[in-house]
Amino acid sequence: MFAYTVRRLLQMVPLLFAASVVIYTLLALQPGDPLDQLRQANPRITAEQLEALKRAYGLDQPIYVRYFKWLGRAVQGDLGLSRDYGISAAQFIFQQRLPYTLLLSGLALLISLAVAIPVGIFSAVRQYSTADYAITTLAFMGYSMPVFFLGILLLFLFAVWIPDHLPFFPRFPTGGVPGLLWSDVRSGNVGFLAFIGQWAWHLALPVLALSVIQIATYTRFMRASLLEVLNQDFVRTARAKGLSERLVLYKHALRNALIPIVTLVGLAIPGVLGGAVITETIFSWPGMGRAIFDSLVAKDYNVAMAALAFLAFLTALFNLIADLMYAVVDPRIRYT
Amino acid sequence: MRHLNKLAALWLIGAGLAFAGPQDNSLVVGTSQEPRVLMGDFLDVISNQAIKSEIQQYLFTPLIGFDANSQNTANLVTEVPTPANRRLRAIDIGGGKKRLEMDLTLKPGLKWSDGNEFTTDDIAFYYEVGKAKGMPVLNPDYWQRVRLTVKDKQNFTVTFEPAYYYDTYGSPISYAPAHLMREEWNKVKAAAAGLDPDKDAQRLNELYRGFFNKFSTPQFLNSGKYPSMGPFRISRWVPNSTLEMVRNPNFPIIPAGGADKYVQKVVYRFIQNTNSLLVAILGGSIDATSSVALTFDQGRSRQLTSRTPGRFDIWFVPGAIWEHIDINKFTNCQQVADLQLNDVRTRQALLYAMNREGLVKAFFDGLQPVANTWIAPVNPLSNQKVQTYPYDPNRAKQLLAELGWRPGPDGILQRTVGNRTVRFELEFVTTAGNAVRERTQQFFAENLKQVGIAVKINNAPSSVVFADDFIQRASECKWTGMFEFAWVSSLSEDGSLFQYRNLNTGAIFVPTKDNNYQGQNIGGWRNDQFDRLTSQGTIEFDEAERKDLFAQAQEIWAREVPALPLYFRSNPYVVRKGLVNYVASAYSGGFGYPGWNAWEIGWESRGAQKRWDQAKYALSTR
Repeated sequence: MFAYTVRRLLQMVPLLFAASVVIYTLLALQPGDPLDQLRQANPRITAEQLEALKRAYGLDQPIYVRYFKWLGRAVQGDLGLSRDYGISAAQFIFQQRLPYTLLLSGLALLISLAVAIPVGIFSAVRQYSTADYAITTLAFMGYSMPVFFLGILLLFLFAVWIPDHLPFFPRFPTGGVPGLLWSDVRSGNVGFLAFIGQWAWHLALPVLALSVIQIATYTRFMRASLLEVLNQDFVRTARAKGLSERLVLYKHALRNALIPIVTLVGLAIPGVLGGAVITETIFSWPGMGRAIFDSLVAKDYNVAMAALAFLAFLTALFNLIADLMYAVVDPRIRYT
Repeated sequence: MRHLNKLAALWLIGAGLAFAGPQDNSLVVGTSQEPRVLMGDFLDVISNQAIKSEIQQYLFTPLIGFDANSQNTANLVTEVPTPANRRLRAIDIGGGKKRLEMDLTLKPGLKWSDGNEFTTDDIAFYYEVGKAKGMPVLNPDYWQRVRLTVKDKQNFTVTFEPAYYYDTYGSPISYAPAHLMREEWNKVKAAAAGLDPDKDAQRLNELYRGFFNKFSTPQFLNSGKYPSMGPFRISRWVPNSTLEMVRNPNFPIIPAGGADKYVQKVVYRFIQNTNSLLVAILGGSIDATSSVALTFDQGRSRQLTSRTPGRFDIWFVPGAIWEHIDINKFTNCQQVADLQLNDVRTRQALLYAMNREGLVKAFFDGLQPVANTWIAPVNPLSNQKVQTYPYDPNRAKQLLAELGWRPGPDGILQRTVGNRTVRFELEFVTTAGNAVRERTQQFFAENLKQVGIAVKINNAPSSVVFADDFIQRASECKWTGMFEFAWVSSLSEDGSLFQYRNLNTGAIFVPTKDNNYQGQNIGGWRNDQFDRLTSQGTIEFDEAERKDLFAQAQEIWAREVPALPLYFRSNPYVVRKGLVNYVASAYSGGFGYPGWNAWEIGWESRGAQKRWDQAKYALSTR
């Protein structure tokens, strides 16, 4: 397994190189350049002045020169400056955006799994019961609900309509992060509980919006996976030898049914860290998804490169982790 | 229990600052944009976002302000230089060029918010940084022409050579806190000493950006070290959430009745999604919107208008953004020659055929005024007595008939060119995904069809159509008909959007291969008289003379219609009842944002006196 892991890690190097070439080339081939907006905004700017700015931003060099310069610095840990934010792209992505995405998308994933797995189990065990039909119906509703609609609906209900009609109902925030920093807790201006409470208050609606679709998805997967296992011979054997239904379900069936879920979650994690651009936009949450989208629109190449290359790395890494997890959860699989 | 109390208090804050406003004499402004940096980036090298300029009005009051009536006001200097007080001198320097000298005196006893003296040293520091070699400023033309001479701690002279009339608009120069930034600047200067602006442009750029960034991030500004010279100073900036500013006790302008009668704290809330921002307004947690907030459609949406009576005013401030259709006039393009787009009668016919009044009424409730020239009506140079083109399809048909067009079997006009039959099928380009423009396009396509003109829509995303190799290449027939987009009609109008040649500088503004595709006269119109009038007007310092020159230029323009003027966009503002002096006009503060008079924004119920009436500068749905 160690040799396999090392081999796979080494294989990631050319893969990531190729991915970075493709990403850089596609970004550079986008129509227009970062100076187009400036040209539109300042009619008095002359050709010489534009050329000087092109040189200042390094845009006067051919794509391949720019790429290899970027690569040379990137392998030394320097991902360049964000043209829009004036700080290093790495600092912007990893310090200012990734933590927010981890908080929102990570929390949503955890809550989704915490809800979806028991509900999926319940639904599978009570197949074709009224409860199963109800769960299935709700799951399809959740699955079909576009997040841009659900997000606005939640905002309107919990930030406007219900508080307008029920004066004692707390008005939920309409987006953004709370105006509290960890330094407020450290300096003693704000209690820890108050700090957590504020963040939970601001996270409630975006996490709910993001979780609904994930709960629906994982519930359906869990149900289908468990039903498949429950119909297998070894489960029948377990029952035949007189094991309690509880033991059959949790010790024999569930462990096997979780294998595809583990894979699914493993592969979903790069997506989670890539942010949820629509949810983040609706709730003004400063995550990775919005950062990537904004950097592409603004042609802030260093930020876009840093974020997309990071996602490429995560995708490769979590593919490897998912493969390794197969061996952990399924003793029949061995890597050599 | 202590925790619970704090939790409850914070919950109220988080629940939408519902108790802000007149109750605690504060103002909460909702905006959909967050500044990337503030204050330390005083040359806009890192960012020139609109929201940055708007917020900085609270923190850096210009030496000479520009009020809602587009009038200069002395904020930090003793008086506005004029020929009458002999502080303004326009001197002929030959070749039709002039030099402008402006003598200024700082008000006595000025202090930064940190208590340090504000002197000409702060102006000299700003000047020194702006003039540094290879500084990637966004307005290099200004920095090439400006010169500063400091006489003493209070007196200085700003010189422009060559000078243009708009150099007298607003503050001729700005300032930065030398006592805070000079030490770091000296290090940067030393590091830049051996670098060549041509060969090492990227390295210089990084050095300079690093310098500005050091003094402009939320982390630095939260340290309280960066002083303010405006009516407010930053007390707290929580990225992605809020920016709080409190009164600067050292600010020299005292509003009527005393500063304590006016808002003591201003909070900018950043809600990027405008639908969410709309929800926040409806929820009552916003007192006013910034210049970068709701869209025009959201401003007049039923969700808002049905819930605001008695609570908010909704204003639509006609601004300087000029929506228009440019026309390709390069006859080397077959399509242009066939359709005779270079003939003034064709362009007039197109304009007569387009029901712009109907469009503005149907789509915008009449809140965005129809344009007759490229200069905004709110600009002092605007001439409203030019030839106009009210909707008149019969007149359009008549003009087209004069040009030899006859209805074809399918109702579309056609004419014979040599031995070819040409159909009047006109390309119409605009930015894909811009719903307002796409709707406008459909509306006009229907209008044109009624006079026998078929429209071939050829839209693409803005990054495609505004790329240098599309918009600037009408001469190479990359687009061959009409192209709808917007220009900002600048207060410092110089006619360069439609000049072939600027006679003052010799620059050619029609983009072709010969001038490396530079210039904004993208359709290729040429009128020597227009060039002469606008070039002369730009160096005319007598206001009446200048107005006359530009009035003549506009008459020529309106007769020739090199582009089809559509309308001037309005920006919506939602303002809570009782808030006074939170007023924007097309050019208030120079950019048209509210907050240019931040020191006198206040609540009537707290004793603030109303000096500025938004109704004078805006339209309303009422």
